[in-house]
Amino acid sequence: MDFSSYVLQLASAFAGSMGFALLFQVRRRKLLLASLGGLLAWAVYLALGPVMPQDVPRFFIASMVLTIYAEVLARVVKCPATLFLVTAAVPLIPGGSLYHTMRYFVAGDFAASSAQGLNTLLLALAIAVGMIVPMSFFQLVRRVRMWRGRETRQSL
Amino acid sequence: MEKRNPFFFTADDADQLARSQAADRANEYLYRVLDIGQYMLQSGAEISRVEDSIRRLCTSFGAQRTDVLTITSSIVVTIYAPQFGAVTQTRRVAGQQYDLHRLELLNQLSRRICTEYLSLEETEAALEEIRKVPQYPFGVQLLTYALISASFSLFFGGSAMDAVASGLIGVLLRYLDRVIRQLEANAFLSALICSCVGGLLAASSVALGLGESVDMISIGNIMLLIPGIPLTTSLRDMFSGNTISGLLRFSEAILLALTIAFGFAMVAALM
Repeated sequence: MDFSSYVLQLASAFAGSMGFALLFQVRRRKLLLASLGGLLAWAVYLALGPVMPQDVPRFFIASMVLTIYAEVLARVVKCPATLFLVTAAVPLIPGGSLYHTMRYFVAGDFAASSAQGLNTLLLALAIAVGMIVPMSFFQLVRRVRMWRGRETRQSL
Repeated sequence: MEKRNPFFFTADDADQLARSQAADRANEYLYRVLDIGQYMLQSGAEISRVEDSIRRLCTSFGAQRTDVLTITSSIVVTIYAPQFGAVTQTRRVAGQQYDLHRLELLNQLSRRICTEYLSLEETEAALEEIRKVPQYPFGVQLLTYALISASFSLFFGGSAMDAVASGLIGVLLRYLDRVIRQLEANAFLSALICSCVGGLLAASSVALGLGESVDMISIGNIMLLIPGIPLTTSLRDMFSGNTISGLLRFSEAILLALTIAFGFAMVAALM
């Protein structure tokens, strides 16, 4: 892939995330941050290209980085992490792969359809697990903090 | 037979009366708490956020013990305190209207209630305020649909003309979706109709020379229609221990995504 197609993909990932952020009523500064999250996720995916050729681990790491970005930002900007996570994860959603799965299926090519379907499923799984790992870490940190501050918990 | 004075009033009765008055008050508070929970759920919050907020709100309003159960479409809360006994309310939550800005405001409000101990009246006023916060104007929303479809058409390798076609179709599809939903059709029927119409429009725009690839145009529109929020929040739900809600939402979202992709693919194959 040449340089211009990288730029095009990053720009469209940014614009697509921004579209979703707008659709879900995200405002002002957070709109930009959410869109940057989408760009970041795809940039990680692209940057890993030379190191690992398979899509699944690349999606896994991209989704992990994205979740860390969302969780950290939520603490900095003081708003729900969902806001960044939901909008920035959109470029990772394997919409193309899903469409091709169904396309082969409808055309009667079941071998290609099941191969593509498995690919879609694995990508979705990679994204899910990539989100779950940092989320569990952040939850653990929260639990430990709560446990240490048991006395002040009532005032929360 | 001894006749009992109907106006005879014991200390026990006074206690009873105070309790029932306190219970009435608790019911009013609980109603507002459920309002907040309901709006959060409808705006796209995860289950754990809703339950956690309700628990904290009830504690700050004076409940000694709070039991909450939230699943995708219903909230059940029982609060207990010696002053008013046990009070229970349930709320059926129908219809989602994803609005992350409102979710953020609700989150701020519930934090404020807990730290500043807002009264019932202040809470009601603040809720009313949040209800009045406007959404993006209609024109911006239409542009948003075009932006999403066009960018994802480009993103998955479509040409500039594909992006334009996808953007135009995206606006029409969302409009169609809104009309169908107003007829209170279920989400799957709406998804099927929208995706079939989308496929037809994609094929005809290629036939008319606007756009080059039916696939690329369709993918842009699929990304627009795919339920992104339920897909991600259901993962968070399942992970945080709310398996029932997570599975419900997840299977609903996956079925919806499959239906949408199927509709587009079917039309593309038939044309």
